[in-house]
Amino acid sequence: MSEDLVTAGAAEAVQRQVRVQLISQEEDIALPESTGPILVPTGLRRYALSTLVNNLLSSEKPIPFEFLINGTFLRTSIDEYLVDNGISSETTLEIEYVRALIPPLHIASFQHDDWVSATDVLSTTSPAASWASGATFTKGQERILSGSYDGLLRIWNMSSETIATSPAAADGGHTASIRAAKFVSPNQIASAGLDRTVRLWKYTEGEGGFTGKISPQLELYGHKAGIESLAVHAKSNRLLTGSADNNVGFWSTKKADAPAAPENLLPSSNARNTKRRKLNTSVSTPQRGPLALLSAHTAPVSAAIFDAKDATVGYSASWDHSLRTWDLVTGSLVDTRTTSHSLLSLEHLPELSLLAAGTAARHITLIDPRASATTVAAMTLRGHTNAVVSLARDPHSTYGLISGSHDGTCRIWDIRSTKTDKEGVVGESVYSITRKSLEEEGKSDSKRVGGEGVKVFSVCWDKTVGIVSAGEDKRIQINRGEGVLSSKA
Amino acid sequence: MNPKAASKKRKAVTRDVEEEAGVFSGDELSKGNLDGALSDNSKDLSDSEDDESDSEVELVDDFSDSEDGEEELDSDEIPSDTEEVKPTAGDPNFRIVKDANGNDRYLWDEIHPDDNSELSEVDENANTIGDIPLKFYDEYPHIGYDINGKKIMRPAKGEALDALLDSIEIPKGWTGLTDPKTGKPLNLSQEELELLRKVQMNEVPSEGYDPYEPLVEWFSSEKEIMPLSAAPEPKRRFVPSKHEQKRVMKLVKAIREGRILPYKAPEEREDKEEELINYDLWADEAERPDHVMHIPAPKLPPPGYEESYHPPPEYLPDSKERKAWEQTDPEDREKDFLPNDFGSLRKVPGYDNFVQEKFERCLDLYLAPRVRRSKLNIDPESLLPKLPSPEELKPFPTACATVFRGHKGRVRSVNVDPTGIWLATGGDDGTVRVWELLTGRQLWSAKLSDDEAVNTVRWRPGKDAVVLAATAGDDIFLAVPPIVDPEIEKASLDLLDAGWGFAASRPAPSASEDGKKNAPPTWIRPEAALVDAGVCVVIPLRYVPKTISWHRRGDYFVTVCSGASTPASVAISIHTVSKHLTQFPFRRRLKGGGPPQTAHFHPSKPILFVANQRSIRAYDLSRQLLVKILQPGARWISSFDIHPTSSSASGGDNIIVGSYDRRLLWHDLDLSQRPYKTLRYHRKAIRAVKFHPSGRYPLFADASDDGSLQIFHGSVTGDMLSNATIVPLKVLKGHKITGELGVLDIDWHPREAWAVSAGADGTCRLWM
Repeated sequence: MSEDLVTAGAAEAVQRQVRVQLISQEEDIALPESTGPILVPTGLRRYALSTLVNNLLSSEKPIPFEFLINGTFLRTSIDEYLVDNGISSETTLEIEYVRALIPPLHIASFQHDDWVSATDVLSTTSPAASWASGATFTKGQERILSGSYDGLLRIWNMSSETIATSPAAADGGHTASIRAAKFVSPNQIASAGLDRTVRLWKYTEGEGGFTGKISPQLELYGHKAGIESLAVHAKSNRLLTGSADNNVGFWSTKKADAPAAPENLLPSSNARNTKRRKLNTSVSTPQRGPLALLSAHTAPVSAAIFDAKDATVGYSASWDHSLRTWDLVTGSLVDTRTTSHSLLSLEHLPELSLLAAGTAARHITLIDPRASATTVAAMTLRGHTNAVVSLARDPHSTYGLISGSHDGTCRIWDIRSTKTDKEGVVGESVYSITRKSLEEEGKSDSKRVGGEGVKVFSVCWDKTVGIVSAGEDKRIQINRGEGVLSSKA
Repeated sequence: MNPKAASKKRKAVTRDVEEEAGVFSGDELSKGNLDGALSDNSKDLSDSEDDESDSEVELVDDFSDSEDGEEELDSDEIPSDTEEVKPTAGDPNFRIVKDANGNDRYLWDEIHPDDNSELSEVDENANTIGDIPLKFYDEYPHIGYDINGKKIMRPAKGEALDALLDSIEIPKGWTGLTDPKTGKPLNLSQEELELLRKVQMNEVPSEGYDPYEPLVEWFSSEKEIMPLSAAPEPKRRFVPSKHEQKRVMKLVKAIREGRILPYKAPEEREDKEEELINYDLWADEAERPDHVMHIPAPKLPPPGYEESYHPPPEYLPDSKERKAWEQTDPEDREKDFLPNDFGSLRKVPGYDNFVQEKFERCLDLYLAPRVRRSKLNIDPESLLPKLPSPEELKPFPTACATVFRGHKGRVRSVNVDPTGIWLATGGDDGTVRVWELLTGRQLWSAKLSDDEAVNTVRWRPGKDAVVLAATAGDDIFLAVPPIVDPEIEKASLDLLDAGWGFAASRPAPSASEDGKKNAPPTWIRPEAALVDAGVCVVIPLRYVPKTISWHRRGDYFVTVCSGASTPASVAISIHTVSKHLTQFPFRRRLKGGGPPQTAHFHPSKPILFVANQRSIRAYDLSRQLLVKILQPGARWISSFDIHPTSSSASGGDNIIVGSYDRRLLWHDLDLSQRPYKTLRYHRKAIRAVKFHPSGRYPLFADASDDGSLQIFHGSVTGDMLSNATIVPLKVLKGHKITGELGVLDIDWHPREAWAVSAGADGTCRLWM
């Protein structure tokens, strides 16, 4: 004690010091238990603290860290933080450190024939693999699914080879653009698009994994307008779709569970002549209808998702500015939260009980869907310059989020990196990923009006593969934060 | 008292000595008489009397007491030098004092008779021959002798040429001039020469005047036998004047008391001579009440550092500031000079604006009004109307979100479908295209015409069926794009097909009617290629329809052929979809203002608004009456739109009108037939105006040939007493001007505050 005082007294002459307790939630980078509070100069910033922790850990390869004090990232020196928050330098400061996110690097781009509207990943860490009951999924055989505006699904391996392509419209494929596609399990795929159908496909892979086949399994009719989004819960064999006909569709992936398809919506019932619609006669695929069509929205439903913890709860976001909570068991509307902008995408952050909704007004609103929440928008994430149409959770962190926008960028957000201004709590993006295609054209610095030609339509973040984004530049782009992943492996 | 008495005593002595100036005696000198000081041998005096230093001091004191007034001797003690310097310095040997009457009085310095120092100076080379004519030495080479007995040689004479010139005889009176009267050489006579000489010599020119007449000595030193006055010589001529002494003593006293300053430094005198008296006109000015004839002196602030000829460097303008100052108008300059560094005062040049300023001052005086005007002191901000900030009026479109590329050539028309998912466009390439609104993906395209442009595309209102009306060339096309679900597609097709029966059941037009040029057209089925594309009905008008406007219920639409060659009776046609019927409701041309331009149905009432070039007329369709005529005051109306909530319930109708002469006009039909507000913000013609169709956002927008759209807030209240609030919100730029055309059409999303524009550059843009 007395020694501490002495050091403190001596330090007073040089620089103010503060006692900090460094903690970490992650075990592999935690300091030994014995490490007590450390006296550090208040002038330190993130980099110096990171060096300090690396020294304490005596790690061979320095790991960059970020530091959190009371849930917000340290962006200034400790001294400024103390002054800003009115904290005495005599208290022991509890600083949590986490791995810093390393700038995601471009890994690969997969070239398509047409705009790519949807993408999903199959890997050991992807939800589809985790739901797979019987099928075994081997590591290193990651697959990337893409749905394109030409109406085709494609399966890629990591070396940018197309393993399988879905049949064309004549052979039972989509008759219009695909807008959403997801792996249900390693051998089942769901897709939906502007032809108003949800299609389930069987995916089989040949020996060695260099060939594959996508064959139609089930066609689901029910929506009267293009389907904008698709959510999958494989455990309960349920699908959730959002459509431009203002309805949320609730479907079963099992032929046996699903009711019969409504006659009037089947293509054969089309009164108009026909050449076009007679195409799908060559293959006969079972046709089924929805378990329920949840109608309450007054404008196109842009996104519908399952609650990440409870598959009986669904959320939908719509152009009518509202976010609705559904009880999927009874098919009833539970709650409506109205915001001030059209909502175009939705993602659930289960640990924080928040829903992130991307808006047409170029930002992301974080909404607390619980009835007890007093305010509609808990936080706003600003930075995009066009509509935010796709959102995905960070698989590494419960606070992380990635958004894909029509401005041609994907932005990574950490909702702890915030500041408060006159419009409430506002977050800023940690990283922004631009499209590689722009760089290749040598126009990386030129800003496209309205993200013309480089709009991002879909983004997916997998722990193994990285960030997969698809867009108007007809390609899927994979980015990965190298350092983080290598240190884990 | 004592010193005074002593001085008096000595004075008497002095006088005695002066009297006997010529007879110095050693005794008197040793007594310390002051006259020794004046003489050249004062040095001898001090030398010889070294030991008597005390008395010498006394002597000096005494001298200063004396009335002579030779003060400088006190300080100098080298009297002879001073005496010699004094006359050469050119100082007047008098001083001016004031006498008792206050007049100037000259006090002359005393002249010393024995001051012959000038004569004592001997020129070594002076000729000593005395008063002998020089001609005595003519035959000698010298002209005399100097003081040492040496010969002084004759100075050198002129050269031979001079002698020659001298020897040439010039006749007396020769002038070298010619007499202008006689033409002969002008020679002066002897008399004239004499006259000239006299004038030159300042003599009296008249003849016979002798200035040196012998003097008649009336008073002379010779004693005459009969003198003029026999009075004896008065005594005062022999004794010193007591009166003068008194006066001298008076002066001495005055000098001692300091009343007369004996000597002034010459520079002081110079100052005095140069001193100018400046009168400060306003120095003791008292506050006076305002009056027309009184203009108080302007109160100028004291000069600052900037005005200095050598200001500190921070006050000096840099080159950018200097340039900015030079470029601004003299009236707009903050200060009328630039600080300039001259280094020193002597380098400051003349004031170059001097003449200008004098002139302006004179001009001011000349033009100065004699009436005091009270200056209006109004804050310009307060004159601006109180408008809410655009921030408070959000949402409104602020940025381009999507660019729709695909049309070749201009995009002439743009329309968002009633559900807000699709966008229909038509352009110069003769195609109609349907796009996904948010992503900009083209979903459907149909080529309606190979060589004619698609002038208008308009979706049928209502969500029960999806019908797209488009005009290309002389034809109107009704299409059901194959992008909708089978149910609605069927409903749409049924809607369009229902009329075939009506058309068939209608009596066939008689031969006479058929022959008439302006018979209503029959609706026909399109050719096979178009049927495949989704087009269901073609209405062949014989003239080019430029605008389509649907009735809100979706059963009628009105088209206007605005071409100048269109006959008036067929320019406006109303088409009934359910009956496949085309009617021409107007038989004659609208009065005043050329051919009709555009027409719209009222959103709730059975009223048709028709605009020609200069006016808008409202017709009640049910009663077939002209209800109202609007005079926007524009020269050529391009488009107009009716406020969507306009009805009798909510405060009357509001109409916006756009015109080719750059004006956007807001009409409140309750107020007047003249515009309530005129907005001129565009540099070029306004092509299209549009209210936001939902009542949710009080927005309207216009599109102009200058390549920009402008978004306005225009809220209409239900209150009859308050007028509409119009706030300009945003100028949206992005469309390139192509061939003098910018933005050709504009539309709003049916629910959101999103606008869509069609540009002459071949793109459409979504703004949100």
